[in-house]
Amino acid sequence: MKLFEFQAKELFAEAGIPVPVGRVVSSVEEAEAAAKDVGFPCVLKSQVLRGGRGKAGLIRKAADLAELKSHAADLLDPKRNIGRLLIEQAVDIDREIYISISVDPTAAKALIMACAEGGVEIETLAVTQPEKILRRRVDIDRGLQDYQVTNLLFDLGLRGDLYKQGRALINGLYKQFRKYDASLTEINPLFVTKQGGLVAGDGKFVIDGNSLSRQPRFKLERAYFDSDVEFEAATEGIPYIQFDGNIGLLCAGAGLTTTVYDLINDEGGRVANYLEFGGANYTRAHKALELCLKNDIKVILVVTFGTIARADVMAQGLVDAIKDLKPTMPVVPCIRGTNEEVALKTLKEAGLEPLFDTEEAVRKAVAIAAGRAA
Amino acid sequence: MSIFINKATRVEVQGVTGKEGSYWTGHMVDMGTRVVFGVTPGKEGQTVGQIPVYHTVARGLRDHAADAAMLFVPPRFTKDAVFEALDGGIRKIVTIADGIPLHETVQIRSAALSCGAVVIGGNGSGVISPGQAMMGCLPFWIERVYKPGRIGVMTRSGSLTNEVTAEVVKGGFGVSSLLGIGGDAVPLTRFAEMLPAFQADPDTDAVVIIGELGGTMEEEVAEAIEAKVFTKPLVAFIGGRTAPEGKQMGHAGAIASGGRGTAASKHKILARAGALVAKKPSEVGRLLREALGVK
Repeated sequence: MKLFEFQAKELFAEAGIPVPVGRVVSSVEEAEAAAKDVGFPCVLKSQVLRGGRGKAGLIRKAADLAELKSHAADLLDPKRNIGRLLIEQAVDIDREIYISISVDPTAAKALIMACAEGGVEIETLAVTQPEKILRRRVDIDRGLQDYQVTNLLFDLGLRGDLYKQGRALINGLYKQFRKYDASLTEINPLFVTKQGGLVAGDGKFVIDGNSLSRQPRFKLERAYFDSDVEFEAATEGIPYIQFDGNIGLLCAGAGLTTTVYDLINDEGGRVANYLEFGGANYTRAHKALELCLKNDIKVILVVTFGTIARADVMAQGLVDAIKDLKPTMPVVPCIRGTNEEVALKTLKEAGLEPLFDTEEAVRKAVAIAAGRAA
Repeated sequence: MSIFINKATRVEVQGVTGKEGSYWTGHMVDMGTRVVFGVTPGKEGQTVGQIPVYHTVARGLRDHAADAAMLFVPPRFTKDAVFEALDGGIRKIVTIADGIPLHETVQIRSAALSCGAVVIGGNGSGVISPGQAMMGCLPFWIERVYKPGRIGVMTRSGSLTNEVTAEVVKGGFGVSSLLGIGGDAVPLTRFAEMLPAFQADPDTDAVVIIGELGGTMEEEVAEAIEAKVFTKPLVAFIGGRTAPEGKQMGHAGAIASGGRGTAASKHKILARAGALVAKKPSEVGRLLREALGVK
């Protein structure tokens, strides 16, 4: 679960990491009131989860009240899913640093990455001059050691008071990484101010999806998603991605679903949605079909080849869901795996035409969607 | 021969009395797997089929020796269950848990690495050597998938396991050993770490890997081929060729992999190393025939 910038900065501030003076607002009036606390010049930052906000014009600077009001009115836009702005005091920037903590899956350690040249071009730098990215691996049972922080700070070229501040900052960031089960936390840019301080300019914090049940602090809300369907699917724990085609997908497992997506594209078809009802969701055909039917689709393609997710259970679930939800478009089922002979019988008795080969099922669905078959 | 498990491997099953646990333990026994005891705290004295149940692994080990542990334990208890097996001296462990907290997967893998244990999973379907033994949830009785043979299979995807393995069999081959490496961000054992076992196995002629977007496991396989650690033919299938650039996990993901990680880049790197890359599951059989010189 990716948090908004203002939430990430909340976690930073709690760990003693300096963040700019700021307020979260959701209307022009609130923005005006916030500016009184924050002062001018200030920065208006749209709270959206997509990257590249600066280049998209979603971050603006305001020198006075008139500019602030005009920018706030312009940025706040329910249609673009921008419901909140973070109004922050502008910072006198001397230079920018990059720092993040993630996981190194091969070494089985936490991975701190840092670079003396932070900012928006960090990804380019990682490719052209990878030696400039410092990497330190932390054994999470042993914890972050002082000498590791010392190494990082000297290698980043931080001296004197910045060195002291840097030590507290890295320790604070690591503490929150562990405490909130982060898969990633990142400060980019980390400002070195002209006054000689460190301030988190931006903040990313992603809580591991498998740890959400023990991390109740941040709740899923509509603002995290671009559409109602995606929000509903996430609330139900069903992996779902919205596309704009006319073939509704009901598949089991990430690997098979992605493969079916490839095969549909190969055949010239267009997918309406990515949806998985395998794994822990294999008994949830009803909800899956309900989500699928929220799109304007010509055909529903069901492909599974389950092991743990039993074919008989999925077929019965699908048949029951069809009986209840009565989709008006054809359903192409290709349900195989554990207890597939029972599944086959269930589907046939319900008047469906079960297929046994993934590519054949894909071709049939694409043909129906294109009006070449019924 | 088979790798990881065979007919002689003595398996204890943790979480044996649960719904999925008892169902699949029954199938493991049906296939001929030597299950010596099961564990569920509070249920000692009961049996699942013919298998005696104990409160803990240590209590079971007083009466029975075990070489391997199969875990049918929910994700949030998996770390504890792995450590319990490791502390019992067991060095081969399989977990199918889907949803182990990320930091715990790091701790489990770290512990396994430091004592030389192999933990397969999580978020996979288990391990099988058809005709020998099975640990996990693999429907071995489906002949068009789990036919005994001489092809090794490793997979990151539970859902593609049957899909691709069926193509191996359709191509006229069968399976020597199949390992469900699993789809977690931190697989407890990685593809490249199991390649030496397949290389050494006289009953494996070639290996098929079923990869996915993200991470660097496929790239490590390419490195193992280039370093001649693995010299048998290798066929790879990776889903997600046409997937649009997804929501990227901040800059750290992109930096950690140095721009690698898409299906397209994995295809290129594997092909350059000499692996045969299938664009569709249905090409796997043909590529195996080409690689092994079978008409």
